Amino acid sequence: MKKSLSVLVLVTLVAIAGLWGPANAADTVKIGFHAPLTGFAASDGKSSSEGAKLAVAQINDAGGISGKMLELIIYDDQAKPAQAIPIANKLIGQDKVVVAVSGSYSGPTRSAAGVFQEAKIPYVSAYAIHPDITRAGDYVFRTSFLGDIQGRAGAKLIGENLGKKKVVMITLQNDFGKSLAAGFKESAGRYGIEIINEYEYSMKDRQFGSIVAKVKADQPEALYASGYYFTAGPLVSQLRAAGIDVPIIGQEGYDSQKFIEIAGESAEGVIITTSLDRDSDVPETKEFIREFEKRAGFKTDMVAASSHTAVKVVAEAMKKAGTTDSKAIRDAIAQTNLKVSTGTIQFNKLGECMKAVQVQVVRNGNWHRHSVIDDPELLAPPSE
Amino acid sequence: MDRRCPLIELATRETALLYLELFIQGLIYGSMYAIIAVGLTLVYGLLRILHVAHAGLFALGGYLGLLLTNATGSLILATPVAAAAVGFVGMIIYRLCYQPILDRPPYVPLIASIGLFIAMEEIYRLIFGPYGLTYVNPPLQSQITILDIHLRTAEVTMVVVSFLLLGVLSYLSQKTRIGVAWRATVDDPEMAASYGVDAVKVRYLNFFIGSGLAAVGGIFVSLLSNLVEPTMGGVPSYKALAIIVLGGLGNVTGTLIASLVLGVIEAFGTIYVGDLLDRDAIAFAFLIFVLMLRPTGLFSER
Repeated sequence: MKKSLSVLVLVTLVAIAGLWGPANAADTVKIGFHAPLTGFAASDGKSSSEGAKLAVAQINDAGGISGKMLELIIYDDQAKPAQAIPIANKLIGQDKVVVAVSGSYSGPTRSAAGVFQEAKIPYVSAYAIHPDITRAGDYVFRTSFLGDIQGRAGAKLIGENLGKKKVVMITLQNDFGKSLAAGFKESAGRYGIEIINEYEYSMKDRQFGSIVAKVKADQPEALYASGYYFTAGPLVSQLRAAGIDVPIIGQEGYDSQKFIEIAGESAEGVIITTSLDRDSDVPETKEFIREFEKRAGFKTDMVAASSHTAVKVVAEAMKKAGTTDSKAIRDAIAQTNLKVSTGTIQFNKLGECMKAVQVQVVRNGNWHRHSVIDDPELLAPPSE
Repeated sequence: MDRRCPLIELATRETALLYLELFIQGLIYGSMYAIIAVGLTLVYGLLRILHVAHAGLFALGGYLGLLLTNATGSLILATPVAAAAVGFVGMIIYRLCYQPILDRPPYVPLIASIGLFIAMEEIYRLIFGPYGLTYVNPPLQSQITILDIHLRTAEVTMVVVSFLLLGVLSYLSQKTRIGVAWRATVDDPEMAASYGVDAVKVRYLNFFIGSGLAAVGGIFVSLLSNLVEPTMGGVPSYKALAIIVLGGLGNVTGTLIASLVLGVIEAFGTIYVGDLLDRDAIAFAFLIFVLMLRPTGLFSER
């Protein structure tokens, strides 16, 4: 058994090592990147790393940065905060990266943010939504909106745009779901929304029979349900199968072609708040959607677009700084004014950016534009 | 927020219907747990091994069932083939992983089992990709409506098939030669062997049946959520352990009852105490409560 165990360990190690690929550091500038490549969040890790790789390939094809090629150093954090700290230390101490990007969830990103801040290495969070991430310090930035802000946009969407007032919330029990719920509740009153009930579920749940039964008895006018495509897909199809036909409003966690694949017919008409507009006329967005599909071989999603955005932002800053000095790069990131696949990125004092919230709806088995929420007062990120 | 007294609510027809629906959902959850947990309790009863990798076989069942259904278009064909294939994988796991370490202390096979389970999850991810697979034409998705309660055919079928399979299993263990041999080996391996029972054969059969049942469970769960993921064994891996402890380790009937009781408690718990405890916490709080009253589980034979 000892032998077969060690063989197993060896096989696993080889398999993991194969994911990283060889690192030939001739004359390159290194960008650190961590994402959950294994474990429960491996699908988001795959999307985010593909998005980041696409950005690097595009920049290198265009001649790199001042003649130097970019090199993405990718580590697997398994979406675990405890993994992120050694990874951050390794990226700083061993790989000597000049900047880093988080293609991961809030837990690992919060842990790593402190390490990068301490080492004064600029660090950009692509799609992690916890408010404390940018509060780690002045070297930490975020190119997506916070959970609360998206929650506020959801309240406006339901209460004002759709005119539904009696709402049941189904909340995912993690920092993503909780901060969405907090933002939604905070703004619900402003749009005349009455929250009849709120149910919580855990990330591991795929069977929602009892919540569905209770929601049916509650008879809401609309549902505000947070989740990722792998929870939202089963949830939506189970709600529809039980005969609940009121509007279901989700968020960027749904934002994947896989959601539509899982929920099938039931996905039709589901509306989400996200940061990627599939029907965009903006050249940067159109190009990203096209190139991603060509390179990765599957349809893009919010996570991929966000990581693509974050890498573009740091690369642009390095180009402007014209040096690998991290202080200069940090200052250049702070000055960013760049149009990318998810909108125009400009940071405030805290390192947060304000973007329009894209509202998408499923029609004929694809995500399409529903509307855009662009209310500067509602969407203002915190500045301290 | 709904904070009225549940007893006053009970008076209305809608509420009665809701409770009935929650109860039915509980039975659906329960039959899902039962078909997974029975294999685990069979292995424990025979070998005193906590077979965590059983949940990996459950996921494998989901994968094979889905791939075969997508390839052939027939769930009825895919299910027995997938169950038999997973049954053989279960036998291989016994031969390669457990048999060489049967004489070691119990934590040795437990650690091997956990390692094997983690490896299985990652192997599925490497082979089938991290995004999970879905049915091209999900079978059994039509609705059955009774008393304003909408159930999917997949849910009803899962309950019926689980009870049927477990009924057949119980019949076989009572009435057939090999069933009697199996029970004799569980009770007293040495005595059974001295009467000519082939213990090795019994063990292989045990792994074949338990793993096959887990595969059927995996296929049903994949039908309910139209999703097979590398990590789909995650929840069953520990919840089935809790269930077999509740049922009195190694006791098949106890495991069945514990599964159903836990399913119903979860169905009501997620609604009425869900903001305090999540589903797993409810399950484990119940486990702790029962073990405080009856340290050997609800239905211990020994």
